[in-house]
Amino acid sequence: MAEKVAVVAFKLACAPDLHTTRERLVFNLTRGLFDELGIDRHAIDSFVMNSNDFLDGRTISTVFLDAPSGAYLKDETKVEMDGVHAVMYGWMRIMSGQYETALVVSLALTGSQVSPYVYTQYSLSPAYERQVGLLNELSGAALQAKAYLSRRGYSEELLDLVAAKDLELAAKNPRQIRRLENAGVERVRSSGPTYEPLRELHCYPPTDAGCVVLLASEKKAAELTDKPVWIKGFGSSIDTYFFGERDLTRSPSAADAAKRAFSMAGLTDPAREIDFAEISALYAHEEPLLAESMGLLPEGEAEKAYRAGDTRPGGSLPINPSGGSLGAHAPCVGGLMRLCEAVLQLRGEAGDLQLDGARTALVHGQDGICAQQNGVVILGV
Amino acid sequence: MEETRIVHGYWELSTFNFNIEARGINLMLEGFKEKKLKGIKCHQCGMVYLPGPFYCRKCHVNIDEPVEISDHGTVRTYTVQYADIRGEPMPEPRVSAMVQFDGCDSWVMGVVQCDPKDIHVGMRVKIKWKEQTVGNMQDMEAFVPE
Ligand SMILES: [Zn+2]
Repeated sequence: MAEKVAVVAFKLACAPDLHTTRERLVFNLTRGLFDELGIDRHAIDSFVMNSNDFLDGRTISTVFLDAPSGAYLKDETKVEMDGVHAVMYGWMRIMSGQYETALVVSLALTGSQVSPYVYTQYSLSPAYERQVGLLNELSGAALQAKAYLSRRGYSEELLDLVAAKDLELAAKNPRQIRRLENAGVERVRSSGPTYEPLRELHCYPPTDAGCVVLLASEKKAAELTDKPVWIKGFGSSIDTYFFGERDLTRSPSAADAAKRAFSMAGLTDPAREIDFAEISALYAHEEPLLAESMGLLPEGEAEKAYRAGDTRPGGSLPINPSGGSLGAHAPCVGGLMRLCEAVLQLRGEAGDLQLDGARTALVHGQDGICAQQNGVVILGV
Repeated sequence: MEETRIVHGYWELSTFNFNIEARGINLMLEGFKEKKLKGIKCHQCGMVYLPGPFYCRKCHVNIDEPVEISDHGTVRTYTVQYADIRGEPMPEPRVSAMVQFDGCDSWVMGVVQCDPKDIHVGMRVKIKWKEQTVGNMQDMEAFVPE
């Protein structure tokens, strides 16, 4: 059995419209990664495909994505949830001792190929929620934002503070697609309303994205990189499906996922031991909500922390120093975008966004309306 | 950049058949005929669901105890919608809210007939029933301030 598993390399592409085909996207990403590393597809022992049939427009959509990914006559499997779950699966395959390497291949062309936000409706109950006809991804997010702010006694200005913090950072990040000039509180507040209390700049921008992440055993990692980033722990948890049965003011499943990840990584005081967090917060309120639920901010003190700059680079716990999901996000790929940003930070390759002395990171991914399912990965160097 | 062309495709979603265990929904719709809310309670943990499922999410046991729920409740959260769920702009903003009816744990979503300026978390509302209720979702016309 392997001792530990590293993230050794990745390749990421995103844009509002990538102007490409799904096959070409995964081909360019995998071929590009192999060329950079000086390997070919035969160096990959296990392919973990990560996309969504509905969004790919074909059932069991890996049937057409395997070969352009390099998986012709190879060991292949698939994860439809967020990419952090595909990384957990790849970790397990390597730890089994059967494989030395696993390649996660993730994509979703949700910027250009489907109606943004609307497709989430097809995840709802056909017998009840679809019949009521009031719930979609955006109205769900708005309901959660209002419930959360009200429960905690936070002002709606917190949404602007979170979004402004993220968008100011996203503006400096060449990997983000929403890079605004003067992305401050005023700009956020003057963006158009979607569903109150949410405004356009509180919501992630519809994004075409693809990402490949190569995982390797300790032995193999040494051959492929001199900057391995280790997977120290992970956890996953899922809340109830029916929206009306959820406690929208917090995320018990994010709390549970984080607890499992901390325990596996041996973290006993995570808020101090973690140097920064990359959280898939698709809507501004989700960032403080998830951070509180995961124990990174004390419950009830998020507004104070954001006003004091605690979550900015240089603060006590920087959250989304990359600019986070308000800069770019797509299903499946979303958690991997956060993971890639964390990897760059831990390697000291984050450029203008580099934090000092970052050694341990929390990476979070989510699925389902209002983050029904949550996955947490702890990375370290 | 390589040359791409767009080919349109669609899934015939209307061909899906969903088998559902309708006891909880039927109980609710039967209740609507008498202008009453009827849910199902878990005998083990006491959770009251509306509409009622056949099992408790938490206890993972069969549940089958009908309970009557008040048609008065409290707004737990709301949103003012400027577009419908397909993203089409609406002529007038619409207030939709999730209401916890007295004696129920689930929150129920519906439209509130009130000025968007008046809606707030904690507001007391009741169901405005259709004059003639027939046992379908439209019987519950809206939520109105108490
Ligand atoms: Zn129960």
